[in-house]
Amino acid sequence: MKFKKTYFFPLKAITVIAIIFSVIAFMSFGFKNESAFNNVKIEIINKDSVESVKAFMDVYKVLTSPRCMNCHPAGDVPLQGDDNRLHNMTPQRGSDGKGIYAMKCSNCHQPTNIAGLNTPPGNPNWHLPPANMKMIFQGRTANQLAKQLVNPKTNGNKTMQQLIAHADDGLVKAGWDPGEGRTVPPMSYEEFKKAWITWIRSGAYAPRSK
Amino acid sequence: MEDIKTNYSRRSFLKSSALAGGGLMISFSALAKFGLDDKVSGLELPDQWYELTGYIKITPDNIIKIFNPNPEFGQNVMTSLPMIVTEELDADWKQVVVEMGQHDSVKLGPQFTGGSNSMRMYWKPLREAGAAARNMLMQAAAQTWSVPVEEVTTKAGMLYHEKSGKSGTYGSFASKASSIPIPKGVKLKDVKNFKVVRSSKKNVEGLKIVTGKPLFGLDYKVEGMLIAMIEHPPAFGMKLRSFDASEALKMPGIKDVFSQKLYEDGFEQGGFDTRTFNDLLVVVGNTTWEVMKARKKLKVEWEPAGDTKNTMSGKREVVVPGELESTSAQLEKMKEYASKPAQQLRKDGDPETAFKNAAKIIERTYNAPFLAHNCMEPMNFFAHVTNEKAIVAGPLQAPGWSEPTLSKLLNLPADKIEIQMTRMGGGFGLRAYGHYIYEAALISKKVKAPVKLIYTREDDMTYGIYRPMYTATYRAALDANKNLIAFHVKGGGIPENAVHANRFPAGAIDNYLAEGWQIPSNITIGAFRAPRSNFAAAAEQSFLDEVAEAMGKDPIDFRLELLKRAKENPVGKNNDYNADRYAEVLKLVKEKSGWNSLENKKYSRGVAAYFCHNSYAAHVVDLIMRDGQPYVERVTSAVDCGIVINPDAAINMIQGAVVDGIGNALYGGLTHKNGVAEQNNFHRYRMIRFHEAPKKIDVHFVQNDIDPTGLGEPPFPPVFGAVANALYKNTGNRFYEQPFILQLNKISKA
Amino acid sequence: MITLNINNKNYNVDVDPETPLLWVLRDTLGLVGTKYGCGIAQCGACTVHLNGQAVRSCVTRVSSVAGRKVVTIEGLSEKGEHPLQKAWIELDVPQCGYCQGGQIMSAAVLIRENKNPTEKDIDNAMAGNICRCGTYLRIRKAIQLAAEIQRKGG
Repeated sequence: MKFKKTYFFPLKAITVIAIIFSVIAFMSFGFKNESAFNNVKIEIINKDSVESVKAFMDVYKVLTSPRCMNCHPAGDVPLQGDDNRLHNMTPQRGSDGKGIYAMKCSNCHQPTNIAGLNTPPGNPNWHLPPANMKMIFQGRTANQLAKQLVNPKTNGNKTMQQLIAHADDGLVKAGWDPGEGRTVPPMSYEEFKKAWITWIRSGAYAPRSK
Repeated sequence: MEDIKTNYSRRSFLKSSALAGGGLMISFSALAKFGLDDKVSGLELPDQWYELTGYIKITPDNIIKIFNPNPEFGQNVMTSLPMIVTEELDADWKQVVVEMGQHDSVKLGPQFTGGSNSMRMYWKPLREAGAAARNMLMQAAAQTWSVPVEEVTTKAGMLYHEKSGKSGTYGSFASKASSIPIPKGVKLKDVKNFKVVRSSKKNVEGLKIVTGKPLFGLDYKVEGMLIAMIEHPPAFGMKLRSFDASEALKMPGIKDVFSQKLYEDGFEQGGFDTRTFNDLLVVVGNTTWEVMKARKKLKVEWEPAGDTKNTMSGKREVVVPGELESTSAQLEKMKEYASKPAQQLRKDGDPETAFKNAAKIIERTYNAPFLAHNCMEPMNFFAHVTNEKAIVAGPLQAPGWSEPTLSKLLNLPADKIEIQMTRMGGGFGLRAYGHYIYEAALISKKVKAPVKLIYTREDDMTYGIYRPMYTATYRAALDANKNLIAFHVKGGGIPENAVHANRFPAGAIDNYLAEGWQIPSNITIGAFRAPRSNFAAAAEQSFLDEVAEAMGKDPIDFRLELLKRAKENPVGKNNDYNADRYAEVLKLVKEKSGWNSLENKKYSRGVAAYFCHNSYAAHVVDLIMRDGQPYVERVTSAVDCGIVINPDAAINMIQGAVVDGIGNALYGGLTHKNGVAEQNNFHRYRMIRFHEAPKKIDVHFVQNDIDPTGLGEPPFPPVFGAVANALYKNTGNRFYEQPFILQLNKISKA
Repeated sequence: MITLNINNKNYNVDVDPETPLLWVLRDTLGLVGTKYGCGIAQCGACTVHLNGQAVRSCVTRVSSVAGRKVVTIEGLSEKGEHPLQKAWIELDVPQCGYCQGGQIMSAAVLIRENKNPTEKDIDNAMAGNICRCGTYLRIRKAIQLAAEIQRKGG
């Protein structure tokens, strides 16, 4: 996979390099294997690695913000709060991601948010990713996360189309309606969705690993 | 299909009782509504009781009802105190039914639950009551059989005259016995002959607890009862300025919103009349949820209360500062005060010179935060007050202390005030303070209806009456041969310090100085499980560990040496401990924990011992690291509390104290910002959880026949010190600030 | 009017549908075995079974349980004979007792789903129930005993 430099370059240089890289990208597309899409049909509208990576950095900001990352932990206990501490009382993921025994997610997390400060936020589908496909966000670099997101083996068996549609998923949207006293992700849902789609449609490139 | 209305009655709720010894139940009318048969195991519901002393009633069918004088909050008095009566009465525990006594200091004694005092306070009176009643029954039998009373014997609820072969149940003589004057000075049993006391008996309310029967104050209910809540100021140091209840009053189920003073200006507060806020904003409605919702619609303006004056017990007037306090500022202030001169509390020898000439001085400072009691059942109380009388019922530790204030506030004589004590979902000292009883009573009087006042968890956790914020600086002087020649403790606190000047190691060290200072505050405080001791033991027992290490001594041996000195050649006067008994628990814990055994090398071990509230306790805490977090896997405890009345319940208490101590040492604490408590519920105030409790807590009692002393508090304080000492062994770091988790997090991030 | 099925009995209650089930149980129906400890699902004292699952009634709206089977501690067994209740009494678990109803309701789901729970299983199942008095060790032993009673058909 050929990596593109990110956009932290002076503008003139960016333009020059962008042109050069666009040419290379165009050419190397014929040589296969330059984004994360191995053997996957892609619906690329406008392959632009720079734009793609730029968009992904926005996506990354959101996905590693508490409202998303807290349910994509590295361990088997969800996270909580803006400080990403371990969820009080350490409920366990369980094999289906829905918790176990007397601490299944839905035992406390109701179908909707409920009134009252510090009550559990709600969603009809409250869960973690299952044990056999944990879809960890916590601790992932932008490079790692991008690759993980586009690979069906690690993204919940999603095709590109499903990945795009995922932006409209109820649980994803719920991140912006987290209940009294919780912060929302660092950009609006619309901005996030735009960045998500841009990232994918412009090639779903992974930023260079540092 | 049923449309349900609540249909309890006060009488039926209160007369619930349980059959001891088998988990069987006798039910009165309220419980019968749950479908339980009144006839259980062949025992019919009696309607005729004969009273023999204030504690005992017996039916003709030989059912023996014993009144538990002291309110129960998990310390097992409801089972243990009746066991004492049963022993001297020589009844069969299976025939005994226990009922919670009403407030009646004439019949039932002081009725104060606290200070680990129940066993100590009631040991003799209950033995005498049981023995006297037995004597009355013997006299009744002797009269009936026309035989000398000396020839009458008893066994397990039966009377015998062996010569003639006559016998009869206690029940058959109860009527006659009840008219015999209560004898004084009856001989008590030899403790070696105990059959009931010193054997384990099950909790008399066990079945009720596990089947969800109404037991606690929050469960109390009468027809027509309203629910009240108080909207407290958001911060200490603030008070009510004005409010707009127009929206709240429109909410469904709401009856009234008003403001009410708790104490009038100049009211003389008793020692347990502590209150944080005096101007109450009250919401009254039909149900709890409706009142909770209406509170959210209140539009309230608060203002700084400014400096105010309070009277404490004994008419002593104190100035309560008006500042909105923050923890960071408090810590700075404490550092400032710690460097100023303080009040001398005890001095032996010449510590100044000793420190001047010391080869080595070890100086360490310890800190601990405010703690909230966090009883599992939040504060609540029921009251029904009319112009003629008042009935109050709920969870409280000291009816005798609240009654005089209640009488003053309601303008009713004491004999028109009935106080009923329900089972408490935890007390820990908080329920000795009566403010919520008075609040409920005043609200009931105002709305002219029976009222249950409820504090939400947030109300409860932010109301105050906390365990104070403490600090202490300890200094030890060693000479060139590493002998301990001087010891100095200077303790401070907001708003009071934790120094017990006459406790160990005072009396064991030639040159000793204890000093104390305090900073007043508007954050109210109160008794919290082993007041002062719960910090003093933590700091002192950690410090002794460091001193022992500097001297190259084993921590237990070091303490034993000091205790030997205190026994054989004590320094000074009023040494508030028995050196032999103190040493005994240390020796016992050393033995039972396998202190030096190779197989325990895998553990990081910490030891601590303490004497408070008349009992001695020592713990060895065995700690491991588990997933990067410290975990106390095992504890060995040694306790001397004299005669152990109900051994299994006593073990339960000690295990509970250990878990409580670990939890508070590692996690507990309240901080403030501009007067606002930063933790107002369990999502922020961390409580020790199931998987964080040790897997094993082995308890060993020193066997002796000393009159029993308490267990509620004594095992608790040394746990903190033992945990700190174990953490040192595990991490190589000493822990000086509670809760220890803060420092542990810093270490793990580093 | 909301129709509720609690402990195999039907009730019609006239309450705000947003009312937490906890307060309907306690205030409206007089079933006080289910306790209030925190109101934000942190302590577990309010645990009841909803179609067999251990839910926290302090955050469960009464409207959401209409037509579903609710079991409270009062209804766990006829006469306190559930293996857990037997074990709790056998080992004299409670101190103050306030949390114990919730503890038992949580444990009931554990031993129903796992006939032979390990120590870790018990940790994972019970970490959500706070006991202020610290009876955790006894609860652990009682769960193990209850599982054994259950295995023997008790």
